[in-house]
Amino acid sequence: MGYFQSFIRQFRARLFLVIFINNALILTDWYVVDRVVKLTGWWALIAITVVPLITLGVIPWLSVKSLTQPTKFIWQAIMHLAPGTASDMGAPKPEQLHLGREFVTNLINQLYQLASVVQGVEQSNAKRTEALNPEYAANSLPVPLLVLNKEEKIMLANDAAGKYLSKPVTELMGQNVFTALDLSFTSTDTLDEWLKATKGKAVTADHSWERVRIGLPGQGKGNLQFDLAAHYNQDNPIGYETILVLFDHSGTYGRTDDDLSFIALSVHELRTPLTLLRGYIEVFDEEIGPNLDPELQKFMKQMDASAESLTAFVDNILNVAKIEDNQLTLQLHQENWADIVNTVVGDMQLRASIRGITIKAEVAQDLPPAGTDRYSAYEVLANLLDNAIKYSKDGNTVTIQVSLNKDGLIETSVRDQGAGIDSAILPHLFEKFYRSHQTRAQVGGTGLGLYLAKEIVDAHGGNIWVQSKLGEGSTFSFTVLPYDKLEEARKASGGQDITRSTHGWIKNHSMYRD
Amino acid sequence: MDNVPLTLKKVLCIEDEHFISELYVRALTKAGYDVDVELDGVKGLEAAQSDKYDIILLDLMIPSLTGTEVLRALRDSGKTPKLHARIVITTNLEQREEVRQDIERQADGYIVKAEVTPRELVEFLSKLN
Repeated sequence: MGYFQSFIRQFRARLFLVIFINNALILTDWYVVDRVVKLTGWWALIAITVVPLITLGVIPWLSVKSLTQPTKFIWQAIMHLAPGTASDMGAPKPEQLHLGREFVTNLINQLYQLASVVQGVEQSNAKRTEALNPEYAANSLPVPLLVLNKEEKIMLANDAAGKYLSKPVTELMGQNVFTALDLSFTSTDTLDEWLKATKGKAVTADHSWERVRIGLPGQGKGNLQFDLAAHYNQDNPIGYETILVLFDHSGTYGRTDDDLSFIALSVHELRTPLTLLRGYIEVFDEEIGPNLDPELQKFMKQMDASAESLTAFVDNILNVAKIEDNQLTLQLHQENWADIVNTVVGDMQLRASIRGITIKAEVAQDLPPAGTDRYSAYEVLANLLDNAIKYSKDGNTVTIQVSLNKDGLIETSVRDQGAGIDSAILPHLFEKFYRSHQTRAQVGGTGLGLYLAKEIVDAHGGNIWVQSKLGEGSTFSFTVLPYDKLEEARKASGGQDITRSTHGWIKNHSMYRD
Repeated sequence: MDNVPLTLKKVLCIEDEHFISELYVRALTKAGYDVDVELDGVKGLEAAQSDKYDIILLDLMIPSLTGTEVLRALRDSGKTPKLHARIVITTNLEQREEVRQDIERQADGYIVKAEVTPRELVEFLSKLN
């Protein structure tokens, strides 16, 4: 501001000077005309008027130029800076200026500074826009991130995702997430199911999963295990509907070693004494059994059956642990179903006989070969028979029936004459750790058996259900597919995993024709 | 059972759990087999490589060399040029499906010890012929 004030001061001083000079000129003019030239009358009046008029015209003209010049420089500076104006004047040169040079120079400098500030703001805005570019932000994230559109196509996969999946991100983009990736969840709560449940019902939603195995299709189960977090936003303006973020916990969850950790170790430790127990019981039974009185013989059989049950239970724990760990793999072979049923019935005879229970097997002739995993099918049958025996009264009959049902599926049912199950409890029967409260007092068990049976049957592509009435016993039934149907289904789905859509979480069954 | 003629007679049991091998030896001897026992991997492998045996029962969790390593060495023609024995894995260990399949491919049989009694083991071996 000091410069402006000094400019005004200088301007006033010069204006005063101009007026002073003009007045002096008029006085001098008059004096010279009167005394020296001795003009009188009209001539004197003309001389006194014209001379100051000439000088008054010349001096202000000179003053005005010096007054407007700074404005011109400022104008030139603005034109030079203004964007989009083609100016050939170039930058102003205030050194040519005499009046108010300091002020004008300063003003021009201020203008240039202001312009550079504006330019800087523009540049940093541009930078920020770049930083806010989703791709830039996504690629800066060290965790894998996938963005899906309405059709569940991958719109964006960040560099970390490409790195974890060892696949260029460009190959992932544009693909449907469920075809591009092999996602295995530990339960029926899957991304697929969640999206189905969320779409059209919520505007935004969040969900997370633990222990999700992610691999590329056709490369088997990935060794990487992630926690997965999903955010759904129905009305995202750029079409990014679902955002998936993956947190690698393979170090915590994953075991690349040959073991299943604590459970596997415990199972090993349990099995060793069981092996011995069963071995010694057998020795005693063979060597001294025939000489024992009937009561002691019964105890011996009881002991044997208990050791056998315990072994089966240890297997159950292990299998449930495998399911939880996403490790239960089924190999669907072409098998003779009647053989499997008869093997299980044979193995369960001891447990049934010690309670005077008869197992009656009614297996239809001419069953087609089943598409099944022999070991797992054994588990299902053994668990159903074991339950039927447990919940039967002494001396009852347990009936196992196998036939080809009207849908062309192999249907197996296990019927007991036990107490039956309350209808309120039926829907929960296949849940983990669920057991009928009424019978808990009389019958031991963890409630793992039916859960396991359901998981295995589901993974076979079959169904399992129960019919029961209090006081009239229960019938547990399940279906498995004949091998040919299974193969048809597999071909129909383009050789993809046949149970993927319904039970996407136990996967990678292999098909074998023996 | 004592009089069943056996084509595969000589059995090597590689098992570090003394009581288990004792039970197996007892049942197998009764059934007419001739059984030797080795307690660890190195000695077991050495005995197996002598090619004196018809059947090798191989535990997986054994000292010095694991059963898997012994199996691999026995199936490696560089380390074991000649071996006519059938190899049956006897274990209580549980492993991932892929690993188990890999072991099953290399062996002639796979038994979870807790799931079979000695008598059932004998039955299993009699079917190996």
